[in-house]
Amino acid sequence: MDAVIALWTELPVVIQIVMKIVAIMLPLMLLVAYYTYAERKIIGYMQVRMGPNRVGFFGMRLWGLGQPIADAVKLMFKEIIIPTGASKTLFLIAPMLTIGPALAAWAVFPFDAGLVLADVNAGLLYILAMTSLGVYGVIIAGWASNSKYAFLGSIRSAAQIISYEIAMGFALVGVLVAAGSLNLGDIVNAQQGSVFHWFWLPLLPLFLVYFISGVAETNRAPFDVAEGESEIVAGFHVEYSGMTFAVFFLAEYANMILISALSALMFMGGWLSPLPQNWVDGVFLLDDGFQWLLLKTFAFMFLFLWFRATFPRYRYDQIMRLGWKVFIPITIVWIVVVSVMRVAEMPWWFN
Amino acid sequence: MSFEKFLFYVFAAILVFAAVMVITRKNPVHSALFLVLAFFNSAGLWMLAEAEFLAIALVLVYVGAVMVLFLFVVMMLDINIAELRAGFVRNAPVAILVAIAMVIELVIVVGPQRFGLDEVAAPAAKPAGYSNTEELGLALFTQHLYAFEIAAVILLVGIVAAIGLTMRRRPDTKSQDPSRQVTVKAKDRLRVIKMDAEEKA
Amino acid sequence: MIALSDYLMVGAILFSLSVAGIFLNRKNVILLLMCIELMLLAVNINFIAFSYFLGDTAGQVFVFFILTVAAAEAAIGLAILVVLFRGRRTINVADMDTLKG
Repeated sequence: MDAVIALWTELPVVIQIVMKIVAIMLPLMLLVAYYTYAERKIIGYMQVRMGPNRVGFFGMRLWGLGQPIADAVKLMFKEIIIPTGASKTLFLIAPMLTIGPALAAWAVFPFDAGLVLADVNAGLLYILAMTSLGVYGVIIAGWASNSKYAFLGSIRSAAQIISYEIAMGFALVGVLVAAGSLNLGDIVNAQQGSVFHWFWLPLLPLFLVYFISGVAETNRAPFDVAEGESEIVAGFHVEYSGMTFAVFFLAEYANMILISALSALMFMGGWLSPLPQNWVDGVFLLDDGFQWLLLKTFAFMFLFLWFRATFPRYRYDQIMRLGWKVFIPITIVWIVVVSVMRVAEMPWWFN
Repeated sequence: MSFEKFLFYVFAAILVFAAVMVITRKNPVHSALFLVLAFFNSAGLWMLAEAEFLAIALVLVYVGAVMVLFLFVVMMLDINIAELRAGFVRNAPVAILVAIAMVIELVIVVGPQRFGLDEVAAPAAKPAGYSNTEELGLALFTQHLYAFEIAAVILLVGIVAAIGLTMRRRPDTKSQDPSRQVTVKAKDRLRVIKMDAEEKA
Repeated sequence: MIALSDYLMVGAILFSLSVAGIFLNRKNVILLLMCIELMLLAVNINFIAFSYFLGDTAGQVFVFFILTVAAAEAAIGLAILVVLFRGRRTINVADMDTLKG
């Protein structure tokens, strides 16, 4: 072990950073791949059917576990069609602009106490900035495709993303007022105590608004009018095929995982254990640690799928009404409430 | 050349390049996208000047919101580009001349002989726990509180003005009023009438 | 080390370019607005640089206010543009020669 640590400190800083990035990205990509599998399987069971169950490994079916790999290989070998009249450079840049911010946001994400790639002070602000960049990929994709369906889809989705970003930003303002810091690690540490010290309770309305806005922000059902396969075929990525489409797909799922992980971090105590501190101190797997963060993230990821299987699609004007006339007022009111709670030093939550 | 200096030149070079593209592209959508690039690189420059809050805020506010608005408007309006480009070539010599004259004059004023490292020494590095956000927040909420509130009012006025200007109620749209939809009762819509059975004539 | 003059010169070049941009695209309101944004950016770079080198946060506070006001300005400017386009089907500055709406 000591030899490994010695070797690690010997390496140049650049290589260390690159290796850390790889250590975050590889599991994330794997998680994205199997999230698509989980989605099809879970929604399948919710609708009383099997979901993918044929593609396995080495001749064994294994409940269809090979499906995401097969899908990825298929998408990689498909031709990338560039429509005539499309703006070629922008058409190819758009998918990268979508996935770039979705992955870049993980740079400041703490996985455990002190386990973070870049421990910056303005972490929350950085994440907000990165998520706000995702809209460019959508707009540029719709415009560069030179197709009416794509353009309509991109305008819809961009307007939706921007509207819900405001509510999301306000919800995060509530978090930072409660925690007194923009640093994500400090936000988790501010929730120490017990389950009732986690921010979901004092910030309950903001928590709900944040998560629902997150669903709307990633254009997932029931807010997926941007895709609206029954009206505008598939929205902004109609014209994309092969790997370029796969990148959009990856970005959407990476964003869902990011929103889930952030909800777990900011409202559900991150890596803190839900059990009382004196029970679990030093107990393997029950003490505070990465496994709890993972568990909470998976719970939120499951909610995304559950929503999709449960709710019918919102109409576009209903989405806009919900965002502007319901969520934003709620968040503004609750920020005032949180500030008062903070100033009055409510003994239970903000010690 | 230190790494910081190298980064500075990279950001500055891309910034100037993007600015040139903004003013010379034919298609306003491309101009807007290059403006986004310019904002992004100046955020990098601000980061080098240890103003990380404002750098991220620039990305958040300008790149994430204002430029999206620009792109929306540019894409939605059906503009005749050729007509708007008339006079581009005719004005070019004047524009280039003015720009070069301005650059020369400004560099004489703000150049290295007045503001170089020998005149204005680089500040010492900040301590490890230093938070730019905190410092800016303290200044903003104590010394500049009134200005801050005025800025908030200006933003509010901006929202009201923008909505007031562009909002239009078209009489032919079939919009629904959700609150009326929710409050509707079955007895408002349906009337059950008792009547005798009719005999076939 | 990066000198103050480096920042100021970048700002100067950016400012001159946006002035040239206003000359070049003087018929297109959208590009005029963009050039104004670029100009404000050049000014902001100067503010940030001075704030850094003089160790005074007042410069950053200024930038903060410029950002907010410029955002409001852009929103209203674009709203006016949209209203104008609805009425006249053009955004050519040369065509806006009446005071009647």
